[in-house]
Amino acid sequence: MNTNPDEAKLALWLEDELQGEDLASFEAWALTQPEHIAAREEIRAWKKTISSTLPASEEPPFPDFFNSKVLQAISQSAPAAEPVKVAKPAFWKSWLMPASAFAGMALAFWVGTKTHDQPQPQVVHHAPEVEIQPVVYTPDGVVNAVWTAGTGSSVIVLEGVNPIPDSTDFSETAYLDHEREIDSTAGRESVPH
Amino acid sequence: MMNKSTAGSSKNEQGTGVPVGLDGSLSDPEDDFRLVALAQKGDMRSYDALVTRHRGRIFAMIRNMIHQEADAWDLSQEVFIKAWHALPRFEAKARFSTWLYRIAHNVVYDWTRKRKIESAGELNDEIFERNSIDPSASTAPSGGEAPDESMSHGELRVKIEAAMAKLSEEHREVVLLKDVQGLSYKEIADVMGSSLGTVMSRLFYARQKLQALLKDEYESR
Repeated sequence: MNTNPDEAKLALWLEDELQGEDLASFEAWALTQPEHIAAREEIRAWKKTISSTLPASEEPPFPDFFNSKVLQAISQSAPAAEPVKVAKPAFWKSWLMPASAFAGMALAFWVGTKTHDQPQPQVVHHAPEVEIQPVVYTPDGVVNAVWTAGTGSSVIVLEGVNPIPDSTDFSETAYLDHEREIDSTAGRESVPH
Repeated sequence: MMNKSTAGSSKNEQGTGVPVGLDGSLSDPEDDFRLVALAQKGDMRSYDALVTRHRGRIFAMIRNMIHQEADAWDLSQEVFIKAWHALPRFEAKARFSTWLYRIAHNVVYDWTRKRKIESAGELNDEIFERNSIDPSASTAPSGGEAPDESMSHGELRVKIEAAMAKLSEEHREVVLLKDVQGLSYKEIADVMGSSLGTVMSRLFYARQKLQALLKDEYESR
């Protein structure tokens, strides 16, 4: 007779978790111990009480909405990643990859030596220019123009100009002077027509 | 409330060919694995069915842990969203439900930790628990539970919930997983990331404390 039971086995027996041979061999001893039998009955009674009082499953409020919110959150986020498949590298990759990396480095070095002494192209910070045909706005009727030359600016006052239609695209009215250097901070110089 | 889910369940049953139970006890682990395999391939209808099968148990578990229905709803959502993202890593070594409990465990602990940090220095409204108020005080609130509480829970449930609320988080969780959800020691150890011995010890002391707190109930039985 085992008078010094395995504590872990006793705990499993008390919770009705022992099965098969373990259960048969342990129960033969445990059933001779009134205090253990009483303890197991007490645990069973407690489990019955609490499980009938606190439900193991309780539908969340608005269960359909619950599901749709979960699915919505999932679809809005990134898709679940596929399981990572660790592929064994092919034999040829083991020598070809370092070799091609070395060749790439050598090529980059050679290109660098060839281009080192060449004059650097002038960097112009503006959007690629496109050939724009200027649109000339011609006022209807008689217009009086007064031109005043200032020190740093010129003012042209036009009298009798009809309202400019909203459909006029002013982006096409600028004249781009390709001959002149463009300062990156000043933007394109334009001359009104 | 249970009736509301019937429509959703039957919809899933049609979509996947797997019977979907409202009660978690109806969900067969083999069916779970089949649905998981389909969901891992991106089949959202299968995942929808999995959510339907397990939302009741996860919601009940979290609700019993934190005692707040609205937050339990949100956290249950979080569990299923996290589970979806972790699904490619799920291996059929454990039951899908056990794996979900594990995610729920982490979600609840993160939430509790965050809440403790946010509420640091604020007024602790737990000091206004009815038990800690002198009943003879002229400003003491009238006793008795709210009528709706009384109708929906029953007296014993209120007492057990009150006793459970006095346990530490670890003790409360181990009692819920063992005595309410019916997990084995091994499964609880997996869920809580603890050793078997720790789980056994926690359960022993948690039950002892509950027995002391519910002494009147025990003696009247």
